[in-house]
Amino acid sequence: MIRVNENEVPWRDGMTVQDCLDAMGYDFVHITVTVDDVFVESIRYRTTRVPDGADVRAIHLYHGG
Amino acid sequence: MAQMIDITINGKPVQVIQGSFLLGAVRSAGFDVPTLCHHKDLTPNGTCRLCLSEIELKGRKRLVTACNYPVREPLCVSTTAEPVVKHRKMLAQMYLGRWPNVPAIQNIAEQCGVTDGSRFKSELTEENPKACILCGHCTRACEEFTLERVLDFAGRGIKRHLTMAFGEPDSHCIGCTSCAYVCPTGAISVVDALNNPKDPVKIRNAGMRVNAEMATLDQSQCRMRDVGTANIVDVMNRYDLLPVHNYRFGSHEEAFKIDSKVLKSRFAQGAADGCWLGCSMACAKTVDHFELQTGPYKGHKVCVDGPEYETAAASSNMGCFDADFLFEFNFYCDTYGVDTISVGTCMAFVMEAFEAGVITEKHTGGLKLPFGACDEVLEILHQMARGEGFGVDVGKGIRWLKNKWAKEYGADADYLRDIGMELKGLEYSEYVSKESLAQQGGYALATKGPQHDEAWLIFMDMVNKQLPTFEDKAEALYYFPLWRTWFGLNGLCKLIWNDVVPADNSKKHKPQDAAKIPDHVRGYFEFFEGMTGTALDETRMLEQSARVYNFQRCISRMLGFGTRKDDIPPYRSMGPVTVEEYESRAERYDAQLKDQVGVDPTGKNTAEKVRLLRAFREGQYQKLVDVVYKRRGWTSNGVPKIERLKELGIDLPEIVEMVKNDQE
Repeated sequence: MIRVNENEVPWRDGMTVQDCLDAMGYDFVHITVTVDDVFVESIRYRTTRVPDGADVRAIHLYHGG
Repeated sequence: MAQMIDITINGKPVQVIQGSFLLGAVRSAGFDVPTLCHHKDLTPNGTCRLCLSEIELKGRKRLVTACNYPVREPLCVSTTAEPVVKHRKMLAQMYLGRWPNVPAIQNIAEQCGVTDGSRFKSELTEENPKACILCGHCTRACEEFTLERVLDFAGRGIKRHLTMAFGEPDSHCIGCTSCAYVCPTGAISVVDALNNPKDPVKIRNAGMRVNAEMATLDQSQCRMRDVGTANIVDVMNRYDLLPVHNYRFGSHEEAFKIDSKVLKSRFAQGAADGCWLGCSMACAKTVDHFELQTGPYKGHKVCVDGPEYETAAASSNMGCFDADFLFEFNFYCDTYGVDTISVGTCMAFVMEAFEAGVITEKHTGGLKLPFGACDEVLEILHQMARGEGFGVDVGKGIRWLKNKWAKEYGADADYLRDIGMELKGLEYSEYVSKESLAQQGGYALATKGPQHDEAWLIFMDMVNKQLPTFEDKAEALYYFPLWRTWFGLNGLCKLIWNDVVPADNSKKHKPQDAAKIPDHVRGYFEFFEGMTGTALDETRMLEQSARVYNFQRCISRMLGFGTRKDDIPPYRSMGPVTVEEYESRAERYDAQLKDQVGVDPTGKNTAEKVRLLRAFREGQYQKLVDVVYKRRGWTSNGVPKIERLKELGIDLPEIVEMVKNDQE
């Protein structure tokens, strides 16, 4: 199990950052991702593996209006 | 999602983003290539030819200009091959021959090992050290930063020169100074005399950074130039935040009919359109030659100014998923001088009341008003403008309608209060706030009523979970309303703060800090300082706004409002009012009952679950209000404390008089 923005998401072997975003339905353009407090560049979402138990933060940078 | 490509540069293996330009990869790999026409914020055009590099692709070698060569497949690159060096040296000799005293040219010559420009010295040689070297930065900045083409080249070959149209000053030039900002020689300089700013260069530099971001980043970010604020119709629908059927739901299967793709296909110019000439964001949009189907201008082809997000979302709130309706609604609201948000939210309330049987055709003058009744919405809009029929009542807003229907029709006042999305007499703007306690406060605690431009905290709170405690939410409800008030105080547009984001924002700042977009906040402060000569930081900015914000609250109190009861929102903004609403997101709400409320929903009927969830959420909201008031320096009834007014230096007798009877 991993946590994405405090939500529990089932972990599977080979899971990437992009898989996490897909699982949460996060497709907004201004998202800052960290895995266990380490920043991940957007170009590496598909290649960065997420370990079991990881704390993934996907911060949406938008304030509306 | 970008893919990485493996290439070698001078024998060094490098990974680059597919489609990115070769020059960036060369420099990232640590190799230096001279350039003259290249500028990091402008579209590369390869005219100076100095960045020539040799590539080997599928066994064939050729020279390309690195600045505008997109890497699409694996290749070998040499920036030091003999033909490259020879070619580059020749160019440097030619440049130095023509502009021997321009420092930028001298630097290029030095990089290329050229010290003597006499080989190409001629009658064209310009001795001026600030001569125009025809790099084209200025012409591209004019077009790409501010979407104008005031500057361009004229003449061919050796007669090529920079000019405005017909060699005369062009009235389209607004003096934005983009051209001077990017000029590498000083050939273009700026006389900053307008408005007597304290430090014109500081202002220019702050503004130019935004212009450059718009030119380079907007296409891959919010597409403000392309579709304006309507870009978020799709986003809000996907995140369950688009108001549908009077805020009952947050998405709809027909939302695609009014989404950004549809709107873009109808936007007229296919170009950006600003509120003012020279705005680099230029997010205003129009639909030209739109033939009206109703009202006094029926049959006329008109220009529709919009629609923006709020108007499109007002349409979904009414269940009107029809682009032609949306344009006509937008046009007539503008023409009649009524707000699309207030009309849309008010009509959504009327439609729910109609469907619930609170009002019938007897009350509406024979109009049937279920959700999606596009023609009837337009008819009511026309009635409103003519001062006739049911439109007169609707024009008075939700608060007035609630009172009338309860008094005259015997309607359930509590039910109307729950579904009537207004507070302080103002209709809600178009976001679903049910799942964000902080946003419920953002709306309901706003001084002027539930408008979205005081605090939009939905992503921070609901999606990012950045505000887990009441204190976190209260801090956000302290900072952001004051930050946004500051825009209003200074007459500055808010959109360039967060509708384009610096490319390195995520790298430079921790996520929680990144959300404030610190570089842009600093840019506003620099602008303020450049204009006034007074240095500004976050503390001073918050103080400036807090004076006005608290003064406004005191005035509200003087007028008989501005207390806790005025900050309690309709329950529709906090949670599901009806069984149908609850059941539409039953999995979510059941989980919340179990995890947050501590109640097992198993075996309970929906009405009971609605009641339990409501009691919990209303309690949470009251706790939030307590903490927010404390953070703002207000009494538990929401009135500014006199000691807070003293702190802010606004404890004038007239102001103290407004609130002295409310102190604890």
